[in-house]
Amino acid sequence: MKDTTVAREKAPSSPMRMGIVLFLISETFLFGALFWTYYYLRGHDTPWPPQHPLATLPAINTGLLLLSSIAVWLGGYMIKKGREKGLFIGLLVTVLLGASFLGITGWEWLHESFRPWTNAYGSIFFLLTGVHALHVFGGVLLMLALLARTARHRFTAGNSVGVEIGSLYWHFIDLIWLLVFTTIFIVR
Amino acid sequence: MRNVNILKALGGGVIGAGIVLLARLALGMAVWKPVPVLVVGGLAGLFTYILAALGLKKLLSLDAARGALTGLAGTGVGVGLTMLVRVLIGRPAWSADGVLTIGIMTGVIAYLIALGVFNHWWRWAIGAAPKETVEPPKSGWQRYFSVDTNHKVIGIQYFVTGLGLLPFAVVLQLIGRIHMADPHLGLLNSTAYESVISDHGIIMLFMVVLPIFSGMMNYFVPLQIGARDVAFPRLNAFTYWLTPPAALLAMFSFMAGGFDTGWTAYPPLSTSYEPAGMSLILIAVFLIGISSILTAVNIITTIMKMRAPGMTFFRMPIFIWATFGTVGLTLVFTQFISMAFIMLLLSRTLGFGFFNTAMGGQPLLYQYLFWFYSHPAVYVFVLIGLGMISDIIPVFVRKPLFGYKGVAISTLGIAFGGTVVFAHHMFASGMPAMLRIPFMVTTLLVAVPTGVKVFAWVATTWMGKMRLQTPLIFVFSAVILFLIGGLTGVPLGIVPVDLYLHDSYWVVGHFHAMFFGGFLMPVMAAFYYWFPKVTGRMLREGLGKIQWLLMTLGTFLLVLPMLGLGLEGMRRRTAAYDLSSNFQPLHIATAVGGFLVFAGLVVLVMNIRSSFKRNVIAGDNPWGSRTLEWMVSSPPPEDNFKEIPEVLDRPHLHGVSSAPHARLGKPDDADSAQNQGEA
Repeated sequence: MKDTTVAREKAPSSPMRMGIVLFLISETFLFGALFWTYYYLRGHDTPWPPQHPLATLPAINTGLLLLSSIAVWLGGYMIKKGREKGLFIGLLVTVLLGASFLGITGWEWLHESFRPWTNAYGSIFFLLTGVHALHVFGGVLLMLALLARTARHRFTAGNSVGVEIGSLYWHFIDLIWLLVFTTIFIVR
Repeated sequence: MRNVNILKALGGGVIGAGIVLLARLALGMAVWKPVPVLVVGGLAGLFTYILAALGLKKLLSLDAARGALTGLAGTGVGVGLTMLVRVLIGRPAWSADGVLTIGIMTGVIAYLIALGVFNHWWRWAIGAAPKETVEPPKSGWQRYFSVDTNHKVIGIQYFVTGLGLLPFAVVLQLIGRIHMADPHLGLLNSTAYESVISDHGIIMLFMVVLPIFSGMMNYFVPLQIGARDVAFPRLNAFTYWLTPPAALLAMFSFMAGGFDTGWTAYPPLSTSYEPAGMSLILIAVFLIGISSILTAVNIITTIMKMRAPGMTFFRMPIFIWATFGTVGLTLVFTQFISMAFIMLLLSRTLGFGFFNTAMGGQPLLYQYLFWFYSHPAVYVFVLIGLGMISDIIPVFVRKPLFGYKGVAISTLGIAFGGTVVFAHHMFASGMPAMLRIPFMVTTLLVAVPTGVKVFAWVATTWMGKMRLQTPLIFVFSAVILFLIGGLTGVPLGIVPVDLYLHDSYWVVGHFHAMFFGGFLMPVMAAFYYWFPKVTGRMLREGLGKIQWLLMTLGTFLLVLPMLGLGLEGMRRRTAAYDLSSNFQPLHIATAVGGFLVFAGLVVLVMNIRSSFKRNVIAGDNPWGSRTLEWMVSSPPPEDNFKEIPEVLDRPHLHGVSSAPHARLGKPDDADSAQNQGEA
């Protein structure tokens, strides 16, 4: 009895990695549904877009997220070398950048000339950016958890699956943002 | 003692009903309305009875009870806060949709926190050390009302939830059938009839079929692949506990006015239908969606990573293949229905305009999103049933499964084919005409892997040493019904025929044949097959055969008249028809069929009861089966296998090979390992 319980606790290091990849595949289809909605409405409604969203701030946001991806990658690289402090700083920078992204997005939403209930474009604009922002919010919470764990010395060079999972997720929402940005501000 | 409790329960019920009456009086509504008063009174009575029988302390020690009470309180707080905010921003305090939606979401979160499913993750997130002491599992039945991470407990929880809701959904439809037997008696008004059949559909698909299959996957996947548990046991518990609130929401949507859209919930009907029952359903399906996506992550990881040594892909039982195909589909496509239902919910509560033409939206968009999921979901609903059939036949005809590899690959073929046919639901919806032919071709192509399976089943029985026990005869009914379902589906895939048959009873008959053949009959077969393994007791053969007779006759009586009605031009989801037409006898036949099926369920309950009373010990392997779950005791030990088994050969080689499917670890090795652990 005793030894099997221990075995069950220890085993899942590689299942964890597979689990998160499967989850992200699933999330891809979630955003797929949203992009489908966007392009479907775009193809059936003229003129498109009926009103123009603010564009400067999202461009800055793109920069922030790209930087944060580099930060989280550096953190993961550091812990592989056994440098806990490097991981801590990397995660901290990621959290700050992610939080600024959310702040800027919130400000931008408040200052848009339209609302989700204005028309279908407003609906899909707010849903697409909103669902993405919700994922960034989840990512920030995950990064905070990783920070707390780093502060309590839970990660070592040999045991950093948590960080790997966190950074995979973070890169994923970063990649999705690039698609969101391209869709809303470049393809339009 | 018992009588005192019943008296207390009566008192509680009267008080509950009285509170509703007072509340209605205070709100200025008509004081007497039977449904809410009786339902709340009944629930209050039930609650008082449980409280009196168990005592407060024992009741609160059950996670489920604690969660339910906290959830109710959370819903109350959420409703109150939303109303307060609405008053503060100067809108009328009460709007059923908005207030209930937010209240229920708060309630569900409160319920999950009170259950304790987040505890471990919270400790992980703040970096605390994992708990040193593991609480011993609760004893007996209490374990099933608590959060437990053992896959067998969760499997039973899922299965019983699904099986418990099955009679509810059947009774709903029986009411609808009685109404249709003579619509002019006015048993139901048109909205009530639509609500009844819509809720029947939603509950059957999302709260009966999915939980029952999740239960069977949870219980038997780790056992059949030789693992001790699923890959993520805590996630597994979390996904189960999302099911009960969803089921309650679906059952209580009537109290909030039901929903008259059919299970498909097409806008603009679903966005303009006033009562909040619609929103409750949307939330319920969203919860089930989260649950099934995470289950899919869990089961795929389990199958990929935790197979016993020697368990190559082509040594897996077909049930595992079918599970793999099914969870692969749910993993990616459930997101579409989740999103579509969220969009509906946003349209209803906040006035978003995705589907509103006046705002530049497109109603047809919803149908694409919906069928992206819901067509693959059709295969989610039947693939596992087909897997069960493939595994059960060889055991009872004592022959290897014919074309094992073909059957295995055809499972994935069906799963893949199912993803590229969704638009055949929209031939009549005004989608671009150029899409019709490609989707017609892909639809007809899916018949090929399905045909492979039917062919393999029939070929397996050829010259077999057949033992006509209950599981096998259920399987035969399943195969015949599945064949009827398949053949009636082909005309629906052909565009010109579909334009005539679309939205008629032909469609209803087709998918009921599919569900009886792909879900109910295989599940009954599997129930009789695996019941001895799960409980350690045998079911009665005689009662099983009576149940089989009732259900098979009932199903044919139910399905064939529907096909006839469809050809005659009877539309589905219509609450009335002209009595001068020749529809009435067929409607009556359908109703009788429904009652026969229900009688079958009653026999099943009797059989389960008598099995626990008689207590005939099943032994490890009553059917002479070869797969891994039959190599351990019945019911299986807490950790399934003392030593991870080694798989040697294919599962279905009955009567051919003397080599077993797998070898369990040598007992003396296991003993010495245990001794070392204790030392």
